[in-house]
Amino acid sequence: MRKLLAATLGILSAVGGFVDIGDLVAAGQAGARFGMAHTWVLLLGVVAICAYAEMAGRIAAVTGRAVFDLIRERLGARVALLNLIASYLVTVITLAAELGGVALALRLATGVPYLLWVPVAGLAVWLVLWRMRFQLMERVFGLAGLALVVFAVALWWLPTDWAALGRGVVLPTEAGQGWGAYWFIAVALFASTVSPYEVFFFSSGGVEERWSKADLADARFSVLVGFPIGGFLALSLIATATVVLRPAGVTVSSLEQVAHPVVLAFGAAGLAVAALAFFAVTFGAALETGLSAAYAAAQYFGWQWGKRVSPREAARFHTVLLVSVLLGVLLLLTTIDPVTLTEYMLIISAVALPLTYLPILVVANDRTYLGDRVNGRALNLLGAVILLVILAAAIAAVPLAIGTRMGE
Amino acid sequence: MRIQVSRELLDRQLVDVDGRLVGKVDDVEFALGADGVPYLRTLLSGPGALGLRVGGRLGRMLVLTAERFVTDRPMAPLRIPYALVTRVDSAVWLRVRAEDLGTSPVEEWLRRNLIDRIPGAGRAGG
Repeated sequence: MRKLLAATLGILSAVGGFVDIGDLVAAGQAGARFGMAHTWVLLLGVVAICAYAEMAGRIAAVTGRAVFDLIRERLGARVALLNLIASYLVTVITLAAELGGVALALRLATGVPYLLWVPVAGLAVWLVLWRMRFQLMERVFGLAGLALVVFAVALWWLPTDWAALGRGVVLPTEAGQGWGAYWFIAVALFASTVSPYEVFFFSSGGVEERWSKADLADARFSVLVGFPIGGFLALSLIATATVVLRPAGVTVSSLEQVAHPVVLAFGAAGLAVAALAFFAVTFGAALETGLSAAYAAAQYFGWQWGKRVSPREAARFHTVLLVSVLLGVLLLLTTIDPVTLTEYMLIISAVALPLTYLPILVVANDRTYLGDRVNGRALNLLGAVILLVILAAAIAAVPLAIGTRMGE
Repeated sequence: MRIQVSRELLDRQLVDVDGRLVGKVDDVEFALGADGVPYLRTLLSGPGALGLRVGGRLGRMLVLTAERFVTDRPMAPLRIPYALVTRVDSAVWLRVRAEDLGTSPVEEWLRRNLIDRIPGAGRAGG
């Protein structure tokens, strides 16, 4: 019973770590414009994040070192510093987008303009990082994030043509929108699924909780169940957008539109549940991105980091945390639209993906670190294929963004 | 103990006897023994040493940023005699406590002027 509870809690954390503002926006846009035609991208993304999270977790458990330690050891001080600067910027922009998502969710629930919520969201996120028991918060937000299941329920409630949905999955088309836009959305959706902060966060958590081999099996189980559940929730976002938004010709430019299908199905109650779910997933992701930005810096420089020691013993770590949240708030206060910011964030993330994933694959094969717990042949083949996809996405991201004017 | 300095020592995490993170091995220093054979004398840690190894404009910017927090420049790196190392694996383990090595000036400045002024700085979040 106790074991079941622990497993459930782990899964909740994984679900919370998977779905974020990027998924809400990219999945909504994919469904509204191309129907189910991006389902394969989402599936590929889930397989990719599961495979690489497993590697990062195994490295953390065996060596006690998190991802950015390894990036510096493998790439050397100079290249790793450039990597740190790029990864930090991407993670802080992601944090800003998540904070924007929190503010938009609060606006959805209260009607108060989102810009007023931005400083509140920033302060709340920082307070949780400063004071609260993080694991507890992670689980609370993971549980509340499951409210996204309301989208799957709405799909049953609405007069859904399941056969047509199925055809959309197996026969992807560009639906008169152009293949450029199709691939632009594909890159954005893929980037939202395999965000680098997810592996920074997962491996650092493993180091902090001092995983042994036994814990590793549990953690692996949480990820292999939790991430696919997150993927299912994202898929239900695509499906509801396909059923409701696409026939109406709506393109998603706000969270209201993403929530519209559940409002149509369940009215004000549906809106309340959707707003709660949006709030939970974006707030949880804001915590994780803030921590990940500080983890990356601390692990590159070798500073004391983590939640086990008091802030005064990890002053540099907590300073970076504070500065990152402030930067996120300031970025939003330029009044940049959070949904637009999310679109740009996903494209920049796509470009930066190889910086995180290549070193993980290299170290997962290094016997001096892992002894006989290096990757098996099958996992290496899968990892290499995924890395090729990641490289392709990284190379294609900017040309696609410019060529299609951000997917227009 | 036979180790490859560039592959197994440089850029590794330094950990003190209580498991606290001290810094990275940012550089190393050799000396000549009485018999004329060079030996690894000191591990260097801190932005000054790191900046030199990173090199170029990027390295200089790193040092300049760190030097904003100290009064006595140039910034001296933390020097750890190699004799204090007990074990080298995925980290470099020391036989002393972090306090005995001296705190990083940047850490100290930020602790005194920023973090300690926020209520609750002395308690771990867990």
